[in-house]
Amino acid sequence: MTRRLMPRLLLAAALGAGLQSGMTVAAHAADLTVAVSDNVIGLDPQDLNDNLSQAAARLTHEGLFRLDRDMKLVPGLAETFEANAAATEFVFHLRHGVSFPDGTPFDASVVKFSFDRGGNPANNLKRQSLFVMIDHTDVVDAYTVKVTLKYPFGAFPADLAHPGAMIVNPKLVAQWGKDFTRHATGTGPYELVSWEADTLKLKKNTHFRIAGLPKIDTLTYRSVAENGTRLAMLQAGEAQFIFPVPPEMIKLTEKNPKLALFDKPSLLSLFVDLNNAKKPFSDIRVRTALNLAVDKAAYRKVIWSGYADEQFSPMAPGIDGYVKLAPWGHDVAKAKALLAEAGYPNGFEATITCTPATISKRTAEFLQQQMAAIGVKLNVEVLEAGVLTAKLYTNPAPETATIQMLVTGWSTSTGDADWGVRPFLWGKGFPPVLNNFSYYKNPVVDEAIEAGLSTVDAAKRAAAYKIVQEQAWKDAPLIFLGQSHNLAAYAVGLKGASIRGDGQFNLDDDATLN
Amino acid sequence: MFEYLLRRLAGTIPVLLAVSLFVFAFVHLLPGDPARMVAGQDASFEQVENVRRELALDQPLWAQYGRYLNQMAHFQLGRSIKTHEPVAAMIGQRFMPTLWLTVISMVWAVILGVGLGVLSGVRRGRWEDRAAAVGAILGISFPSFWLGLLLIDLFSVRLGWLPTGGYGGWAHFVMPAFTLGSAVAAVMARFTRSAYVEVAAEDYVRTARSKGVPERGVIWTHTLRNALIPVITLTGLQFGFLLGGAIVVETVFAWPGLGRLLIDSVSFRDYPVIQAEILLFALEFVLINLIVDLLYGLVNPEIRLK
Repeated sequence: MTRRLMPRLLLAAALGAGLQSGMTVAAHAADLTVAVSDNVIGLDPQDLNDNLSQAAARLTHEGLFRLDRDMKLVPGLAETFEANAAATEFVFHLRHGVSFPDGTPFDASVVKFSFDRGGNPANNLKRQSLFVMIDHTDVVDAYTVKVTLKYPFGAFPADLAHPGAMIVNPKLVAQWGKDFTRHATGTGPYELVSWEADTLKLKKNTHFRIAGLPKIDTLTYRSVAENGTRLAMLQAGEAQFIFPVPPEMIKLTEKNPKLALFDKPSLLSLFVDLNNAKKPFSDIRVRTALNLAVDKAAYRKVIWSGYADEQFSPMAPGIDGYVKLAPWGHDVAKAKALLAEAGYPNGFEATITCTPATISKRTAEFLQQQMAAIGVKLNVEVLEAGVLTAKLYTNPAPETATIQMLVTGWSTSTGDADWGVRPFLWGKGFPPVLNNFSYYKNPVVDEAIEAGLSTVDAAKRAAAYKIVQEQAWKDAPLIFLGQSHNLAAYAVGLKGASIRGDGQFNLDDDATLN
Repeated sequence: MFEYLLRRLAGTIPVLLAVSLFVFAFVHLLPGDPARMVAGQDASFEQVENVRRELALDQPLWAQYGRYLNQMAHFQLGRSIKTHEPVAAMIGQRFMPTLWLTVISMVWAVILGVGLGVLSGVRRGRWEDRAAAVGAILGISFPSFWLGLLLIDLFSVRLGWLPTGGYGGWAHFVMPAFTLGSAVAAVMARFTRSAYVEVAAEDYVRTARSKGVPERGVIWTHTLRNALIPVITLTGLQFGFLLGGAIVVETVFAWPGLGRLLIDSVSFRDYPVIQAEILLFALEFVLINLIVDLLYGLVNPEIRLK
């Protein structure tokens, strides 16, 4: 399905681009409804950290740069840029003639306002971290902005492509104050119409900088918590794109010729945290044994109905700097021998913690059954997210941590290797600082992570992240399970809608709906 | 009468105060950290601490409760921790969908349930009674998420007659109100029947019958009137529970109601929203109990309001 789908999408995009100039206005309005699993929290791009809201904000806002559907960096509101050799000064040349839907012109002062707002600690916005390296922003002329950084940061354009760095409308910020997040609309292809309870309504931004686009007239973003109901909406023609689709429901979409399946690898690595600071997981032989004991192919089949990939590194392919290593494999005899060697010839008893989410719970139960084969008896503990978060983050030291094994995973929100490994593998990232719930600490890994962070040299960074991946893969601080896929379903008449690797809904500017 | 009403309404204030204290204690004792939930997994330690300060969650509990009471005294519910939206607006958007769904479900469920209950009571042991019993057992034992999904599959996906869900015109109400009401109707039918049968065995019913009161009079005046008292109590309770939001039905039919808002708020530890919703539910129950008491007097003038 994946292999067939991509050329089709590319073809659709190419056709869309080719036809653009000669197209007349469609006879009937194209009204797209997207059904998602949860509510949008806000629309202020600088104050969002959930995928769902960020994806909605990306429909109404743009940044100087953006990541396209394949998470490739492309220009947005900036046409070109120059940087000095030290990567501390960036000059951005902005597009001319762009305005917000309310007529407010987009120019250098708007960019300065946005960056100053996002980086001001007093505003306490959730995406402040994207602006911390900025020392000051200067307006050179109406369409030129110069940003001076506090320290070299070669990945600055990529940083500005994050949805959190999108440009906000200063007039709306002043007008709405605390309620801005309910009314934010930027220079994106769509503008906000209304937002009540679980329904967000957008319409085509007639001021959009690319003439003739978008081709979809109205866009409704609805929160529908029940998986079966979302699917029914798609089948009944009430929605044209639904996300996510649980793996076990895929078969239902395949039977219907009017529906198509979207299936692409995500950037999410699935694993189980093991508390490396405490017995029995402080012994590398035990951790190795657990990794060997899991039948990863069965895991992908049972839990993901096959919609997952084998894992070859702690980091997902698709992140820059990814290195493909030898897979762990499945070897029960060797696992048993290693356990015996570590002093557990009859195995041991441990508790595995998961959330009430179906996949999480089923993963824990699957591992319970797998580990029984090497004599390890797992008790499954299901903790509601709030309780789990409190347990994970309010614990003062590795020795007192009460969670032994945790079903979890990690996906980078920036597409960069640093955020792909540092949060869960860095020895200085024990909670509450970051999410190293394994309390894994290896000086080799720590040094490499810090080296990658302190240079802008692509080759040096790649070398650093290679060391991180190789060492952590060998140390097995986690039970590596696999890489998940993003699954969505849509009406065949819709072209140009997808889910990016980071799990965000993406609608191409030239998307069409027939 | 007026004085009675006034006294009852004044009595709600201590009840609400007690509820506010109880709910406040309850939500703050729940393990979980809203500051971490708001800041998200990507957040640094400093960011989480900033959020905590901004939300005044770093203050001692008594200070937080004081702030909360002060807000309440000014009829302000504060803003949601999760969305920054005013809590009053969030509840306002979801109150009408919940109220309408409750009213429509209750109306048909009570009429059908009480009707079937009386029919079973009058014709107890006959086929009408057995048929009603089978219907009621089906109504009680059908899980509403399953019934809801079956209805959606039939009427929306296969036949295309009704929308799958969401709040809108009358067509949007049909399936949710049916699903929500069916369990209520079933409970009402069984309850009415047993109340009817119990009263029918009373001495005064036998006396009435032996005095030659026509059967119709025995049923309506002597039996039903008295059997209705517990039925009204149950109706009031059911109404109150449904006003609290029907979580399963709201989820299956993507209904923007209070039940899902409460669940979402609890899992996010959105304290102001949880507190406001529970307080609203307490207020609703107090009012419903008052109405139920007034109805007692209406059904049976022997019951005096003091």
